[in-house]
Amino acid sequence: MSESAAVAEIEELTVEVGGRRIVDGVSLRVLPGRVTALVGASGSGKTTTGRALLGEFPSGARVTGFVRVDEALVGYVPQHPAAVLNPARRVGALLYDIARGRVRELPRRARRAAVREHVLNALAMAQLPDGSRLLRRFPHQLSGGQQQRVVLAQALLLGARVVVADEPTTGQDALTKRRVVDELAAVAARGIGVVLLSHDLETVRALAHEVLVMRDGRVVESGPTERVWLAPSHPWTRELLAEQPPLRGDTPATSNSYTVLRVRDLRARHRDVEVLHTPELVLRSGECLAVLGRSGSGKTTLARCMAGLHRGYEGEVLLDGVTLPPSLRDRTRAQLATVQYVFQDARASFDERRPVLDQVARTAVRLRGVPPREARGEAAEVLNSLGLADELAARSPARLSGGELQRAALARALLARPRVLVCDEITSGLDTVTRRGILDLLAGLLRDRDDLSLVLITHDLDTARLASRIAVLDAGEVVEQGSAEDILTAPTHPFTVSLTEKRLVEKRRDQIQPSSHA
Amino acid sequence: MRGRPKWLPSGRFALGAALVCVPLALALFGPLFAGEPGPRATSFTLGGGHWLGTDFVGRDVWRQVLFGGRPVVVVALTATALAYLVALPVGLISALTRRTWLEEVLMRPLDVLLAVPSLLMILLVASVFSPGAAGLALLVALVNIPDAARIVRAAAADVASRPAVEALRMQGESWWRLAVGHVGRSILRPLAADAGVRLTGVLYLVATAAFLGIGVAPDAADWAVMVDRNRTGLFVQPWAVVVPALLIVTLTMGCNLLFDALLSTGRDVATERYVVRRGVGVRDRVKEPRP
Amino acid sequence: MSGLGSWAARRLLLGGAQTVAVVVLVFALTEALPGDAAVALAGDQPDPARIAAIREALDLDRPAYERLADWATGLLHADFGNSLTSGRPVSSYISDAFGPTLLLAGLTVALLVPVGVGLGVLAARYEGRFVDRLVSSVTLGVYAVPEFAFGVLLVTVFALRLDWLPPTAVGYGTDLLGHPAALVLPVLVLLSRPVCSLSRLVRAGMIDALASPYVAQARRYGIPGARVRYAHALPNAMAPAAQQLARTVDWLLCGVIVVEALFVIPGLGTVLMNAVAERDVPVVQGLAVIFGVITVVLNLGADLVAHRFAPRAEVAA
Repeated sequence: MSESAAVAEIEELTVEVGGRRIVDGVSLRVLPGRVTALVGASGSGKTTTGRALLGEFPSGARVTGFVRVDEALVGYVPQHPAAVLNPARRVGALLYDIARGRVRELPRRARRAAVREHVLNALAMAQLPDGSRLLRRFPHQLSGGQQQRVVLAQALLLGARVVVADEPTTGQDALTKRRVVDELAAVAARGIGVVLLSHDLETVRALAHEVLVMRDGRVVESGPTERVWLAPSHPWTRELLAEQPPLRGDTPATSNSYTVLRVRDLRARHRDVEVLHTPELVLRSGECLAVLGRSGSGKTTLARCMAGLHRGYEGEVLLDGVTLPPSLRDRTRAQLATVQYVFQDARASFDERRPVLDQVARTAVRLRGVPPREARGEAAEVLNSLGLADELAARSPARLSGGELQRAALARALLARPRVLVCDEITSGLDTVTRRGILDLLAGLLRDRDDLSLVLITHDLDTARLASRIAVLDAGEVVEQGSAEDILTAPTHPFTVSLTEKRLVEKRRDQIQPSSHA
Repeated sequence: MRGRPKWLPSGRFALGAALVCVPLALALFGPLFAGEPGPRATSFTLGGGHWLGTDFVGRDVWRQVLFGGRPVVVVALTATALAYLVALPVGLISALTRRTWLEEVLMRPLDVLLAVPSLLMILLVASVFSPGAAGLALLVALVNIPDAARIVRAAAADVASRPAVEALRMQGESWWRLAVGHVGRSILRPLAADAGVRLTGVLYLVATAAFLGIGVAPDAADWAVMVDRNRTGLFVQPWAVVVPALLIVTLTMGCNLLFDALLSTGRDVATERYVVRRGVGVRDRVKEPRP
Repeated sequence: MSGLGSWAARRLLLGGAQTVAVVVLVFALTEALPGDAAVALAGDQPDPARIAAIREALDLDRPAYERLADWATGLLHADFGNSLTSGRPVSSYISDAFGPTLLLAGLTVALLVPVGVGLGVLAARYEGRFVDRLVSSVTLGVYAVPEFAFGVLLVTVFALRLDWLPPTAVGYGTDLLGHPAALVLPVLVLLSRPVCSLSRLVRAGMIDALASPYVAQARRYGIPGARVRYAHALPNAMAPAAQQLARTVDWLLCGVIVVEALFVIPGLGTVLMNAVAERDVPVVQGLAVIFGVITVVLNLGADLVAHRFAPRAEVAA
């Protein structure tokens, strides 16, 4: 492909904020019909680079270098499509306004009809066939998938030659990921250059033709996707792409394992809507049970029922054969200590004003009656064993990273010496390397503590691999459960099949055949 | 670098402080310097040994001004404190309880009370009782309780629904440590903001009620009463009206500016914000030597 | 849409409860009188004939709940009872004084929305610059000032010193429309507080909206600046503002009472103040019910409007 074919170019871009270079000498070419991925952990400068294509820079930044974009404007697909949809206006409002910019040359009378046609066309291209009904709705009345497609339709309507997609699949389940990958592939197939900013390696591998690996604002490696994957030259790339080690903890010895927690005939409600119905779910001692499901499947509600954080349910949660009170306020200290819960949002689960160590130590004081001094010592010990040095533990939560706080949250729960640890999506929102660290930690806990059982709530198949058993949740029902091996290799329920079908996600880029080259 | 100039909050602070200090000093220390009352002169005269002239019954206006700030300020402060004394526990308990009926019992009557305009409520009571200063403070506190309780409850409920509180519960922390130690402490900031706004509102209500003759004697030394009673002589002796009116204006205005400045410092933590800069570094080669 | 339906039903229910509460509360206040109500109402020189007349007029010999029931049924037929002092029906007081008050309030509300929203948008557009600092400081300052003090100062300047406008409406009776000059200062004073609060809310809402991702998206896609401001950002700034408009009604009622007293306008506020001074309980009750019910209804309307602008947010009901 010739030099001039690029629809957008960045050369030697450097962005400095407050004396710190967040992007340092990055060059990048976007070709029509091709997907270019910027890969890196959060803070690597990929978002700043991507937004430079939109002509947007952090306020107060010093910018040097060169950004060129072909004629039309650049489309933007953010991580959360709902954020760019105006909550107070109907979906059609912005679409009509965008279309109006494209019909200026028409006679005044013809414009109205032309605008509508443009809009419906773009919606159809974005796989939203019943556009005319959709236009009258407010964003909150659309499903997440529809919101995403509306945002894509905006970019298509604009006639954008370049679309920047910022973490479009982060934190999404396998089905949603696949849908987004399909949609972006379809966009590229229209001859549009797609720039994918992501730390979701699976999506990148499936979609991107070209990969740029970023770290600390620099591109450490770039090249065709397969080449980078098969023969990474930079050590950081190798670390980033390293295959997941087999994580699985040992399957519990069947002889002396017993039932710790049993969920019986559980029907949970939010307000008056039933969101979860679980006739029977069993957690045996020493095992790791993954509850796998998409967002909205009721998996978090299940976890919160077990932990006593959601009390709107009928049925029973039994610990060692004894019914647990639905609300943790009615549970005894021993019961509280036995079933502990780790929150998805570690940062929000800490009091921002007290040092992490003090907060972690309180568990031992309140639930095990350890004197404060000893509790602090014990807390420091556990934090150390999870990789948090004393110096870090003495800080306030604001000065720890997401991964560090998640370790601290684990330590806080472990200090109760629980026998059941419920982990609710504790790795979502973390980048690949950090996530792997946390999962290794959990695998280690399972190995070292015979009396500990884990309930792992996740939407992520890779995370579920850690478990010895998996229960698949869809629309509030357990559709399938069994050993992890069976579920992952030979699923029987159609939903599980569709969830585990990884092949579909892969190799999507080979199907992108641009219809028109510039 | 573009952004809010540094001097702006402090400028507003200085303006507020400057406005508030004169009426506040007069209100607090005025009575100490008032001295003995002189003999009554004729109504609405200027001069004649009276710095600001005389009022509608021939008293020295300056002396009345020295005395007239204290009731306004004292009643307002008492009423604000009283309102929070009730609103704080009601709001906290209803936000933290899991007994829906308790929340309903505490909050629903307040919702209903909220519908009655505050001055109307005060007038209604005044039409059957004759409240004194203490009665006025109670009344003003009463009409402020519903709104204050709602704000306390909303702030506390917001904090209480966060994972941090659930995590504390998971650790088996006691109700007191949770409600006072964590939630109470977390809502101090929004509460301080509300208290500032509320005090200005209360000042307004106290002054207006006094102007309408509620909770005060008809010849009381009170800035609002002075404005009311001396209005008849406005064309002859404007000082008897203008000076107390100006003092009330500067007091309320300064109060609001001051609280706003106090509460906005540190609130505008610079969040990362992207700005569109088409033409800067875009579509152009920027030739800047690398440092 | 069932969510909206049930929300509206709950909100209407609350409105109904508030109306009932206002009626009961207003009635209960006469019951709260210490000792013998008739003696208390007769004032400083209780003469037995007057006490007997009051007892007769208020039916004080009958049980309270019967009187409440009678009074409440009367309200439904616009029968508010008779004045204690003049014996005239309360409804005639109300109909006589309704015109000037409605004129004042109507003019104020009609000017309030464009002026308040306009100032708010202006300040937000030039956030941090001189225009914004000026508008913000002035609105912040004036917001807290009681109407009577502000009004007296305006009268001193514009009527006394400059002699541009009449100081009061004395002599014009209820025919205020015939003398528009007499309306300028009262409406200005009435506007002062609500305009400030409205413009401050609109400014804050606009600044949030202008910094939001959805406005960034509209700008990114080449929508003209004015269209972004008014069609895409402003609707989001209106939700909190609409709610505030409801609370403004409360202030407007306070304001009307003060302004009518200050400028001697024979409206409902003046009637109310006179009745309070004379302890004319039936008149006070009648007016209180009118004011209370108007507040409830307007609050309800504003909540519904706010709900339209922020369909996601569940307005407390």
